[in-house]
Amino acid sequence: MRNRKISFTVNNEKVTLHVRPYETLLETLRERLLLTGAKEACGLGSCGACTVIVNRKPVRSCLILTLEVEDAIIETIEGLKKNGNLHPLQKAFMEKGAVQCGFCTPGMIMTAKSLLDRNSRPNRSEIIEAISSNLCRCTGYKKIIEAVEDVCSKE
Amino acid sequence: MEEELYVVGKRVPRTDSIYKVTGAAEYTADIKLPNMLIAKVLRSPYPHAKIVNIDISKAKRVPGVKAVITGKDGYGVKWGVFKYTQDHMMLPIDKVRYVGEDIAACAAIDEETAQEAIELIKVDYEPLEPVFDPEEAMKDGAPLIHEGYPRNINIHVHIEVGDVDKAFKEAHYVREDKFRAQGEAYAMLEPYACVAYYKNGYLDLWMPNAGPHVRAKALSNLLKIPLNRIRVRHVFIGGAFGGRSEVAPADFIVSLLSIKTERPVKLVMSREENAISSRQVHDVVARIKTGVKKDGTIVARDYEVIYDGGAYSSTGPIAASVPFYVYEECYRMANVRYHGYRVYTNKGIRGMYGCHGRAFLAGCEAQLDLIAKELGLDPIEIRLKNGLRAGEETATGSKIISCGLQETIEEATKKVDFKNKWKKATRLKGVGMGCVAIMCGFPMGFRSGSSCSVKFNDDGQATIITAIVDNGQGNESMAIQIASEVLGIPMEDINIINADTEATSLDPGAYSQAATFVGANAVKRACEDARRQIAEIAREKLSCEIKDIVIKERMVFSRKNPENKIPISWIVREAFLRGKPIIGVGSYFPNIDLKREWVSKPFGQMAGSFSYGTSVAELTVDENTGKIKVHKFIAAHDCGRPINPMAVEGQLEGGIMQAGIAAIMEGNIWHNGFLMNPDLLEYKIPTAKDMPDIETVLVTTMDPEGPFGAKEGGLTIRMSAYSAIASAFYNATGRLFKELPLTPDKVLELLQTEEG
Repeated sequence: MRNRKISFTVNNEKVTLHVRPYETLLETLRERLLLTGAKEACGLGSCGACTVIVNRKPVRSCLILTLEVEDAIIETIEGLKKNGNLHPLQKAFMEKGAVQCGFCTPGMIMTAKSLLDRNSRPNRSEIIEAISSNLCRCTGYKKIIEAVEDVCSKE
Repeated sequence: MEEELYVVGKRVPRTDSIYKVTGAAEYTADIKLPNMLIAKVLRSPYPHAKIVNIDISKAKRVPGVKAVITGKDGYGVKWGVFKYTQDHMMLPIDKVRYVGEDIAACAAIDEETAQEAIELIKVDYEPLEPVFDPEEAMKDGAPLIHEGYPRNINIHVHIEVGDVDKAFKEAHYVREDKFRAQGEAYAMLEPYACVAYYKNGYLDLWMPNAGPHVRAKALSNLLKIPLNRIRVRHVFIGGAFGGRSEVAPADFIVSLLSIKTERPVKLVMSREENAISSRQVHDVVARIKTGVKKDGTIVARDYEVIYDGGAYSSTGPIAASVPFYVYEECYRMANVRYHGYRVYTNKGIRGMYGCHGRAFLAGCEAQLDLIAKELGLDPIEIRLKNGLRAGEETATGSKIISCGLQETIEEATKKVDFKNKWKKATRLKGVGMGCVAIMCGFPMGFRSGSSCSVKFNDDGQATIITAIVDNGQGNESMAIQIASEVLGIPMEDINIINADTEATSLDPGAYSQAATFVGANAVKRACEDARRQIAEIAREKLSCEIKDIVIKERMVFSRKNPENKIPISWIVREAFLRGKPIIGVGSYFPNIDLKREWVSKPFGQMAGSFSYGTSVAELTVDENTGKIKVHKFIAAHDCGRPINPMAVEGQLEGGIMQAGIAAIMEGNIWHNGFLMNPDLLEYKIPTAKDMPDIETVLVTTMDPEGPFGAKEGGLTIRMSAYSAIASAFYNATGRLFKELPLTPDKVLELLQTEEG
């Protein structure tokens, strides 16, 4: 099958690529754009380690084809830092000890960011509901929840 | 008077977390090297079959394929952790022993080409009768999986202390039960991956591992390449939990492919491959017989534990022993008999697990509560009565130098008003607890110790060089924190070179709970050596005594005249001028009995020290659905002294999930040698919504040997959280569990049975 041309915006940069019709967004991000922050941990949408934000919605990039994101605005973990400053969620994850092996961290932070984009003051159960879409094998989630709460309390 | 500490004991952000929150941390699958090839592996569809022929001719002709290998391309070496367990060729030539076993592999210019080639390899098999149940495999006449292992018994550990039979005769009350547990999936979020690059006779490797030196040694044997030509490099690791302690078939395969092509080769496993063809956890059957005196003193114990060992030996002798040891390190055992059998079956390769042996440990602890009830005692009393204390010896002769068992029991139980709740358990609502100890390091011969060196740059910043490996638990940050304390410079001034076999010296790795007690002890000593050298020069400059020298916030001064400060960089430069740069060296070798052997001599000092922990769970059981809801979970752990309390808490919280909540959710399901739930949809790992209200307690006992009093940082909860669930289930229902996990089907079945 022939590659097809597609354009979209990633972390405020417009890109135009020729991709295979069956290529997932995760493959495009990791292999073509070298944005390896999004991870493949399950390949079938159950773990959330590949979460990126597409048009303000958290998306499992292993489940959508790159051809579906024509003209979309995509945010990945690599784009969170602004002018050399960490995003409050990145800071809170560090300060609250919410990071262990780190493999789920980019997806977890993107899921949390999309929650805060929609609702800047979520309560604890809303936070739990949102991050329950992402699996973490190390932390038991307590410090992740606390990190997100910490950002909400400061905003 | 206790010395004031500046960094140790503080809740500091981990040094590695900045790379992880920005997505910059590079894991093995993220590595891209010029001209890199992609590898794929052909796997066995049979649980047990003779390999008659492998035809790779078509695969080799696919354009873009650069190499295709089978077992014949290897060197005929079988790997085993011990001389007597060498049975694993990594790419078999005679027969396959489990579904998913590696048969052949190829390296090609991209993944699709590699996949195409793999599908063109033709293997002729002659299926053999398989055996899946270890108890069946032990029967006479069962199919033999390896030659030279009658009844498929891979390892038999026999420990006998005191006069067990006599003690049972004299016991006031005797109870015997049988418990089972399905093996769990490690389910580390990072699927296994390996990159190898063979160039100019040297092999560089990156893979998630828990001990770079043991990995290099295994590959040196398997590939017949001298150790100095194999360089396992540092890489970020997405979890291990015991599953990445040993060499993997993938390491061997990717190395061979790179040697053949002299190009970098990368293999990334899918989640399903990770579950089926990387390490798995042992399924366990435990028969537990306990005899007690009227006052609750346990006088006799007889244990028979059968471990489903899968197709190869792996860490066999250790796996067949550890559940017993972590229990004997916790309780007094005057008369005890332990038979541990690790049995070959036609299932995947197994390894140690941070929660290893839950049938045995949860079985022992839940049975203990039943016994306490029979005697009119409660779980706290019976544990305090039988628990070991500092100064005592374990049944197999390990001396305990610090012990916070009592404190962990008291602290954890008082948070939930345990005594009253246990006595007045309302229908289907209960509390329960589990205790355990953990050795800070296993005997591993000359690999039991660790060393470290530290050097200074001319600006006063330092680099520590240690083999400590970080699988996610925070070992790198912990080493830097300790170095910062000793050297008197902030953590951000310290670089670390670690987990690289070329740059570092031997270390036990991160799978025997040795990183803090052994590895960080070496870091501390190396930094103390460097500090002494700094103090020597500073003493001249400040005209004071060495004992009065203080180094703090990059400045050196005398305690008696703190106004007169010299920057540490001046001292470092002075040392360069004198031709004696500041280079500190330190090593630590724990007090262990090197004559101890897992099978032939299971007696003597096991480890330098032991940590202690208590888990407490509160749950309700829904009698209509069989669903258990865990409401509250307390974990109390004696880690000697926490280097970074936040990191230790994180270990406990993870343990509550991975062992505690797992006890109602997680288990591998098998059918005819096929793993039925290899992905993360069918295998349920807890989400944030499954987690109870959690509290952690860090008990400080100031271990006399550990660095700044520290011991192992949290494994006791991974090895006791399921016990708390099992005990609470007993309290709620009056029934002992029969098999873990306590999923609704098993709960409903148990509720149909008689109490007791």
